[in-house]
Amino acid sequence: MIRAAARGLALLLVLAGPVLAQAPAPAATPAATNTPQLTADLATDRVEITTGFTGSSVMVFGATEHLIGPETGEDVVVVAWGPPQATVVRRKINVLGFWINGPSAVFPEIPGFYAIAATRPVWEILPEDVRRTARLGLEALSLRAEGSQSPAFRAALLDLKQQDGRWQEYAAPVAVAGGRLFSARVSFPDTVQTGPYRIEVMLVRERRIIARQELFLHVDRVGSAASIATVARSTPLLYGVACILLAALAGWLGSVMFRRN
Amino acid sequence: MQVYLPIAEMSVDGLLLLGIGFGVGWLSGLFGVGGGFLLTPILILIGIPSPVAVASGANQTIGASVSGLMAQWRRGNVDARMGTVLLAGGIIGSGLGVQLFALLRRAGQVDLAVAIFYVVILGTVGALMVRESVRAILRRRRTGVAAARAHEHTWLHGLPFKMRFRKSRLYISVVPPLLVGMGIGVLSAVMGVGGGFMLVPAMIYLLGMPTSVVIGTSLFQVVFVSANVTLLQALQVGSVDIVLTMLLLAGGVVGAQFGASMGAKLRGEETRALLGLLVLSVALGLLYDLVRTPDSLFTIGPVP
Repeated sequence: MIRAAARGLALLLVLAGPVLAQAPAPAATPAATNTPQLTADLATDRVEITTGFTGSSVMVFGATEHLIGPETGEDVVVVAWGPPQATVVRRKINVLGFWINGPSAVFPEIPGFYAIAATRPVWEILPEDVRRTARLGLEALSLRAEGSQSPAFRAALLDLKQQDGRWQEYAAPVAVAGGRLFSARVSFPDTVQTGPYRIEVMLVRERRIIARQELFLHVDRVGSAASIATVARSTPLLYGVACILLAALAGWLGSVMFRRN
Repeated sequence: MQVYLPIAEMSVDGLLLLGIGFGVGWLSGLFGVGGGFLLTPILILIGIPSPVAVASGANQTIGASVSGLMAQWRRGNVDARMGTVLLAGGIIGSGLGVQLFALLRRAGQVDLAVAIFYVVILGTVGALMVRESVRAILRRRRTGVAAARAHEHTWLHGLPFKMRFRKSRLYISVVPPLLVGMGIGVLSAVMGVGGGFMLVPAMIYLLGMPTSVVIGTSLFQVVFVSANVTLLQALQVGSVDIVLTMLLLAGGVVGAQFGASMGAKLRGEETRALLGLLVLSVALGLLYDLVRTPDSLFTIGPVP
C-alpha cells in the first residue's frame, strides 16, 4: 500500500516537472514522437477486503501532453470494469393478490462493476458509434438478454445496479490540476466482487479517442476473511463441521459463563 | 462497527447483529425454540441474501439451542429417549428438505416458497396455540385448577412398535414421533429454522407429552437437526457464514440464559399463549409482505 503510494507520488513528481516548466510556452508545438500523449497510473494495484471492509476507492491519476479543457478540446475519460457477472432480473406479478416472481430475463455477460468518469460527459465529446464500440457510458453497454426481451428489464437492471453502487456514471469527477495533471477516484462498494479489474484511461480530441492506456488492479480478500472463504470453498465438509462445533462451543460457553441462578 | 461477512460478501453493522442475536436468544430461552423462525426473516430484512440467511440461521440455532438445552438438562426436563426417536426422523427429513431447497432455488421460486411455508405453517401453528392456551387459561380462571389433560385414545395408539417413554409418561408407538420428526426436518431445511416452534405444539397436541419435558426435548432434537442442516447447506449450497453466526451467537447465548430463567417463572399456558402470539404475528407480517404492492416490481440477483 505504502510502496504503491510512494510509487504514485514519484510518478506525479516526474510528470509534474515538464508540465510546470512548459506551462508558459504555447501548447501548439506538434507532438514529439517520443513523448506519450497520455500517461496514467493507479495509486494501488490491489484492493484488499479485510474483516473491517466497508468499501474502498482507488485513485487513478496521470498527465497529458497538451492542456486538458474546453479551449484545447481535449478531454480525459476513465472507465473501470469489473469481472463479468451473469445477472437475472425478475419481475414480480400479482397472482390472486400475492406478489410472486414472474417473468425473468438473464443478462449473461454484463460487468459486475462498471464506473465511468470524465472531464465532460461522453455524449458531448464522442459520437454514438465510438461510444458504442468502446462501450462508454451505461447507455452504450451491450445488455443482451436471454428470456424476456422487454425493455423494462433493461431499464430495471440499469436502475438497480446504479442504486447499489455497482454501476456508476459520473459519480465522481475527473479533476484537472495545472491543465495537464488529472486524477479520478474509483469507489468500490462493500459488495464488490473479488477478481481482476481493468481501468481504461482515454484521451479524446475532436470527437476521436486519440490515446488510451489500460491499467489493472485486483480485488482480493485478505486475512481471516480470505481464509474463511477459501476453507468454505475448498473443504466444505471440514468447514461445515467446524461451523457446527464452533456454534455448539459458543452456546456451551455462554451457558457456563452467563448462568443465572 | 462494520464487519465484513466473507461468505455473504458484504459488510453489516456488528452491533446490530449482536442486538438481533440477543433478542432472538432471549426468546429462544424463554420458549424453548431455536428462534430461527424469527431470525431468518430478520436477516433477509436487513439485506442478507436468502441462502446465507437460511444456512447461517440454522448454524446459529445450534449455538442458541445448546445453551437452552443445557439449562433444561440441568432441570431434568429432557426426555432423551423421545428426543432420539424424533431425531432419527429429523435427520431423514432434513436430508430430503435440503434437496427440495436446491430444487426450488434452481426454479427461481425459493423466496416465494419460503414465504408461503412461513405464512401457512406459522399462521396455523400460531392460531392453534393461541386458541388452545387461551381456552386453558380461561378454564383455569373459572375452576381455579388447571384441567388435567384428557387422555384420549385415538388410532395413533393402535400402531405397532410401542415404546415406553418414562420421562414423558407415555407408552406409544414410535411411528408418530418418527413421522413428526421427519416432517419437521423437511420444513426446517426449507425454512432455515430448527423447527422448535412446530415441534413444541406437535409434541403437546399430537404425541400428548407433558409441557414440562416438551421444551427440553424439542431443544434436544433442534440441536441435532440444525447441525445436520448446517452440514448439508455447507456441502450443497456453500452459504454458511461463520462470522455472521458467531456475531449472532455472541448476543444470543447471553439472551438465552435470561430467557430461560424468566421462562421458569411463567406457567405453561401463558408461555404457550405468548409463543403463539409471537408466531402468529410473524406470519401476519410475512403475509402482509406478500400482498402489499412492492416498492420495486423488479429484483436483480446473481444467476443461481
